[in-house]
Amino acid sequence: MTEITITGLNAITHPYLEVWDWRIVIYLFLGGLSAGMLVMCSIANLRIPKQPVEELAQCVRAPLIAFIILAIGAQFIILDLGKPQSLIWGYLTFQPLSLMSWGTWGVPAVLFANALYILAVIPKADRPKLRFPILINLSEKLAPWMRPIAKLNFAMGIFLGIYTGVLLSSFAAIPLWNNATLPILFLVSALSSGAAMIVIIAKNNDIKFLFTKIDIWLIVAELVIILLFFYGLYTSTAPYKNAIAPFFSLSDEHFIFAIALIVIFLVLPLALRIKLGELKEFEGGIHTEFTKSQIFRMNFAASLVLVGTLILRAAIVYAGQLTKLSPY
Amino acid sequence: MPKYVMVIDVEKCIGCMACVIACKKENNVPEEYFRTRVVEEVRGEFPNLRMELRSELCNHCENAPCIDACPTMASHRAKDGTVQIDRKKCIGCKACILACPYDARYSHPKGFADKCTFCDHRLKEGKKPACVETCLGKSRIFGDLDDPNSEVADLLRKYDSSVRLEFAGTRPRVFYIKKKFAGGM
Repeated sequence: MTEITITGLNAITHPYLEVWDWRIVIYLFLGGLSAGMLVMCSIANLRIPKQPVEELAQCVRAPLIAFIILAIGAQFIILDLGKPQSLIWGYLTFQPLSLMSWGTWGVPAVLFANALYILAVIPKADRPKLRFPILINLSEKLAPWMRPIAKLNFAMGIFLGIYTGVLLSSFAAIPLWNNATLPILFLVSALSSGAAMIVIIAKNNDIKFLFTKIDIWLIVAELVIILLFFYGLYTSTAPYKNAIAPFFSLSDEHFIFAIALIVIFLVLPLALRIKLGELKEFEGGIHTEFTKSQIFRMNFAASLVLVGTLILRAAIVYAGQLTKLSPY
Repeated sequence: MPKYVMVIDVEKCIGCMACVIACKKENNVPEEYFRTRVVEEVRGEFPNLRMELRSELCNHCENAPCIDACPTMASHRAKDGTVQIDRKKCIGCKACILACPYDARYSHPKGFADKCTFCDHRLKEGKKPACVETCLGKSRIFGDLDDPNSEVADLLRKYDSSVRLEFAGTRPRVFYIKKKFAGGM
């Protein structure tokens, strides 16, 4: 038996880490959601024929909503900073080994590319809504460049989606986070949540159905990667194996994590089941408008995906801080 | 350039906690926060017990994950090889606190990350860190490892030493010497 008494403890690190909280969870969720939306609406817009370019953007509102979501998400990381007034120092240097530094530069870069995308996809008839002549002119000039801008935003979305996972996996001192599966898991869940969000906001039936189909594959991939994530840690050394214990424990302290895992494995397969039902229903193609009940089902399944993504991020952020490399 | 290291002779620690207090006083460490701690580890079943008292602090690692994690270079390696924090540059993102496998850092109430500095302000005056100066059992020994005549170089030559979480690959500069007792870290 070993009994350890420590004099001189800091509450932020003992008995477990209480460093990052719900603000980081929201940041990672909204960042991932925005990344997924950028990728998905770029796919939608790049599917259309190359000529003529004008007026062919199918996904018009998604870039704007993705921008708002990311801008709100970025506020949460600023809210988490102990000294936000010193943030300028982050822009006076770039540290390639620091994932925080990548985020400091990366998030504004994504927002910039996203802003170009918003202007490039606005239909001609809606341009006067921009109000400022400079924005209207810019929108006119960017419209022919919609495809390259969509490609740029696709790449930016992938970067942002992976970044949310790499940010956590870069911490060698946190066994649950420190593995190569996590960035892939976060990317896939970001793409899945992006597809779900587009299903919710899309008015066009074809777009709604397209992303319902895409999300089926993404949900399957996400479920498989979650299993691989846990399996990889289970077969690793003691600190890594201990790191997944909270998800499989029904003790008072860890009950919430077991529940989170159960909920994830309920909502994602349920969303999958509903989406597969839709796929069967429209096997022969979409010939009429969706009924209210069909739209409700699609939106409900998409909302389940969003809930699952949020729970996944929250569970991983909090559970990761329960186990350290050090035995105490 | 010196290579400052601390050697901790675990057998000599008497658990008086004077180092913890001296550090707080010397560095104005806020209430409820600590830059160093003393771990009391008791092993075995009564009456067959053995105990180790071990001081822990920032290891001023040669391969410091906190420096890599810092987005603003606030956490940096000083010219004397120690790991220091520039409070002005720190944005309080807490990435360094998560990156440190030794839980050596904390978030100061004023927002910046804080930790042991090896009392760099004292080193500049030619003095030893406050915890070393105050250590009653002479368990904490501080010096320049590059100086072959220093006490630390002599101790590390004479005795087997270990570092905390060696497998983490951080190459700590705080060494533990144990002449008889082999406890885990």
